[in-house]
Amino acid sequence: MLLHWDKLGWWRWVLLAVTILTAVFLLLPILFIAALSFGSSQWLIFPPPSWTLRWYDELFADPSWLDAAWTSFKIAVVVALLSVLIGTLAAFGLVRGRFRGREALKAFFLTPMILPVVVLAVALYAFYLRVGLDGTVTGFVLAHLVVALPFSILSIGTALEGFDKSIEDAAVLCGATPLEAVLRVTLPAIASGLFSAAIFSFLASWDEVVLAIFMASPSLQTLPVKIWGTLRQDLTPVVAAVSTLLIALTLVLMLLVSLARRFAKSS
Amino acid sequence: MTPFLEIAGLSRHFGSFVAVRDVNLEIRKGEFMTFLGPSGSGKSTTLYALAGLDTPTSGNIRIEGKSILDVPPHRRNIGMVFQRYTLFPHLTVAENVGFPLSVRRRPAAEIAAKVGRMLELVRLQDFAQRKPGQLSGGQQQRVALARALVYEPPVLLMDEPLAALDKKLREEIQCEIRRIHRETGVTILYVTHDQEEALRLSDRIAVFSKGVIDQIGTGAELYENPATRFVAEFIGDSDFLPCDVLAVRDGLASIGLSGGLAVDGVPLHGNPAAGKAELMLRPERISLSRAMPASGPALPAVIGDLTFLGSHLQVAAATLDGRALSVRLPFGHEVVGSLARGDEVWLSFRPADACAFCSAQGGS
Repeated sequence: MLLHWDKLGWWRWVLLAVTILTAVFLLLPILFIAALSFGSSQWLIFPPPSWTLRWYDELFADPSWLDAAWTSFKIAVVVALLSVLIGTLAAFGLVRGRFRGREALKAFFLTPMILPVVVLAVALYAFYLRVGLDGTVTGFVLAHLVVALPFSILSIGTALEGFDKSIEDAAVLCGATPLEAVLRVTLPAIASGLFSAAIFSFLASWDEVVLAIFMASPSLQTLPVKIWGTLRQDLTPVVAAVSTLLIALTLVLMLLVSLARRFAKSS
Repeated sequence: MTPFLEIAGLSRHFGSFVAVRDVNLEIRKGEFMTFLGPSGSGKSTTLYALAGLDTPTSGNIRIEGKSILDVPPHRRNIGMVFQRYTLFPHLTVAENVGFPLSVRRRPAAEIAAKVGRMLELVRLQDFAQRKPGQLSGGQQQRVALARALVYEPPVLLMDEPLAALDKKLREEIQCEIRRIHRETGVTILYVTHDQEEALRLSDRIAVFSKGVIDQIGTGAELYENPATRFVAEFIGDSDFLPCDVLAVRDGLASIGLSGGLAVDGVPLHGNPAAGKAELMLRPERISLSRAMPASGPALPAVIGDLTFLGSHLQVAAATLDGRALSVRLPFGHEVVGSLARGDEVWLSFRPADACAFCSAQGGS
């Protein structure tokens, strides 16, 4: 290796300092929010004068928070399932297919990642008003599916590219129908890709706020919309408590993804 | 009588590129047939057409008289071992071998019994519960062989299954494959670019070159009687000297070499219209002496390099007009001890051991 740690001389201390600063810059807001959620101050004073679990009590006592969380969860689970299903079909077409315009189609499927979400939100909102999907779970699911699909297509596509097609051919020659070969050999072999597609799609929907603000109605709102609304009305440490729980959930899910990858590699 | 397996007029075009051109082949039941040729010669394409993983442009393939081209690959009941490792990564060795029976909905007891017998055949009984990732390359290919044989297919296709293994392991598994062929009596079509592997394993060899079969025959036939210069080069070692065709009678030619030497009775292949040909000589079929032999054709030559190779001595000699000729002398030959670089010697051969190939464009 050209740049080896041992050969860097005093530069290594500069490198170490930059790394630590970057990590702190990324982590500090999260630690800050977590600290505030356990602080006793109503006005989010830092450092907290004393520690308490009061805001978590308030959070779990308020059914509107639980409702919002349940709505978010329902939508995110359906989005994850549909995203993996459609993403698998799309990935097979894009990786295995040999047709004109394949590259263009691949780029097209990834545009929701580049397109400003607010543009998408305005367009979908105008469309939903016309067809009567605004404020419905179906509307939420479809809107979030648009932003979740690129994650599925990318993650399943990568797994499929790394899978040797000869293995599927071998299954077919062993007597399996092409569909049976895919279901019994190919999909299990790329299971970790399917799993991370599901997790990333879930998260893409779970913490999505821009589309959700447009889609929400007073009777149907997701957790991020509820947080947003609460923040605008009154600043309360309950929001910090919700945020801390959200971060914890995300951490657990990311940990699951990396465990699944490690498991896939070792088997 | 209809042949067991027949390939008739098979061609495969990829756009303007012709990968396989009019291949005709008949294979007997239980035969071990090898497709030998360099990469891109069409041997694998022919095999893939048999497997049903590729569709030929024209021609037909019949097993026991019935065309298989309309049968989808999963119903052809043909076994195949690939060059790359194709075990199912998430299944154990036993589950891999049992897979073809499981998709055929056989009862569990039958599957267990046959898997056990197959693992015994490839000598991997103790590895039944391992995952493919825990096996060496050679073991993985043996499991793949067991998986391809467990449903007793009438035909087994093997596409360079040992190409990724090192030489010692390769020879070990070649012996296993021969034994398994003997014990099961399955008809095997084997693709390789390694002439030694082809000679070691096959009953007959089809030599592929540029999409066509140059010659089909046993290893000995291909070695003794190569039909084309390509076959002569591919099977065994050979050197070539340019010559003129002076006269032809009954497939035997009189040729003239540079330096004025004329040789009668050389087997001739190809169309002698151009009058130019190339004389093939095998290093092990050339005699070397210090004095000019009393009879028979002999070429004066100068010794270049001498290489001792255990059982024999490899002599690199040059004719007077600078053409390279290798000679292989058995160890213990009378002149071996005294031979030195720069010595002038005579190289003689029997016309029947040589072979002349007419040059297509006249001259080399």
